Amino acid sequence: MWMVNVRSPYGARRLALGMCALLLAALLLFPGQSQGLLDYLDGPVGQLVRLPLEAVASLDQGVSGMWQQYVSLQHVADENRRLKQEMDWLRGENHQLREAAAATQRLTSLLQFKEQALPAMVAAQVIGRDSSNRYKSLILDKGESDGIQKDMGVITPAGVVGRVVKTTGATAVVLLLTDSNNAIAALIQRTRDEGIVEGIPQGRARLKYIPMLSAVKEGDRVVTSGLVGGFPRGLAIGTITAIDREEGALFQTAELAPEVDVNRVEEVLVIQTPHAQSSDTSARSETGAKTQP
Amino acid sequence: MKKFFAYIGLVVLLVPVQTTLLPHVAIWDIKPDLGLVSAALIGVLTGELEGLVVGLAIGWILNLYSAGDLWLNLVTTGGAGLFAGLLAKQVAEITPTILSIGLLLLSLSGGVLAALSMKHATVADTWWMLQFVVVPQACFDAAMGAAILWFLGQRLALPRFGMLNPYS
Repeated sequence: MWMVNVRSPYGARRLALGMCALLLAALLLFPGQSQGLLDYLDGPVGQLVRLPLEAVASLDQGVSGMWQQYVSLQHVADENRRLKQEMDWLRGENHQLREAAAATQRLTSLLQFKEQALPAMVAAQVIGRDSSNRYKSLILDKGESDGIQKDMGVITPAGVVGRVVKTTGATAVVLLLTDSNNAIAALIQRTRDEGIVEGIPQGRARLKYIPMLSAVKEGDRVVTSGLVGGFPRGLAIGTITAIDREEGALFQTAELAPEVDVNRVEEVLVIQTPHAQSSDTSARSETGAKTQP
Repeated sequence: MKKFFAYIGLVVLLVPVQTTLLPHVAIWDIKPDLGLVSAALIGVLTGELEGLVVGLAIGWILNLYSAGDLWLNLVTTGGAGLFAGLLAKQVAEITPTILSIGLLLLSLSGGVLAALSMKHATVADTWWMLQFVVVPQACFDAAMGAAILWFLGQRLALPRFGMLNPYS
């Protein structure tokens, strides 16, 4: 028979246990209200934890930087050769793109389109990873005091990284694109079919709800649709690697290789306003992306 | 009071260790959950009440740096402290082996709960997570807990823990 031996059943011990049980029950029964109460405490606690967290993170970056710059140089020659080839190829592509951009600019002015304003962004550094293995997230060194709020989109120049799900005064938690709890509105660049990108536990992502009549194929690029969430239209998400067409199903599903290697991200940009206001469109279009260091 | 500040120090230091340093020693992207191990050890060494309270504090602080739900972190970490304290009272002698079995079970329970509460996951995703995240992490937690208890046993004379100093 299972017996629990609590030495002092009466008094402070029992009271404290009861209080803890009550706290947990309140949290489960009234999640909104109890979360609001805890949010008041998150600020000061976040500031307290910020100091050791930033100290350890800077030490960690210093050590890994030293390792990468001085010790781990064995593949640098190969990498250098590969990068030079890549640079030649990109230079050629750059010329073509300049031509295309100039043509686009001419046509846009002809059609009297308003130039699309670039979003306001904040640069942040990655100082840690999720404290558990069950979620794929990053911890940033900027938080509410820097203007970062929940549901803001997070990108690198290569493409989408994820979105902010939690903030304290000094830090923010970014749920990665590859986490199965994440969902981002997307479209296939070539066919313009819309869908939802969700992470899968294996560290990749999948595009769901593609119409059955869509002519999607492997190698198609997927970008943000800009309809909902913290992203403007057209940011790269990934490339389709496999398509799942089940007989009798209403939609197709495609597997994606994310554009950004989320395991190696060190600096990111947080999008504060995905859709710039029309009043300051002209001002921003002159200055380009407003990025705070 | 000294104990109180020691617990605050532990809780605050756990955050950078868990989020910044442990990812470097992760095996197959799996790192031990030091929060759960600490709560369980405190429960075993000082009793179920302290285990529960410190476990709740650890769960809350670590949750600020995780994308997970607060209730899940509180239940798993606080529960680990509470159950470790209660189970420790039923065992005459706590050795690293006994502790590792207890931690394995606690970590598995928390992991299964987390896997079942994933939002968009299919059955296949849940199985994959159980197989490649929950079980390896439980093994990692068990090994880490046993190693810490063994280390503490080398430093301190812990009579109830089968670790009396042979030279004393």
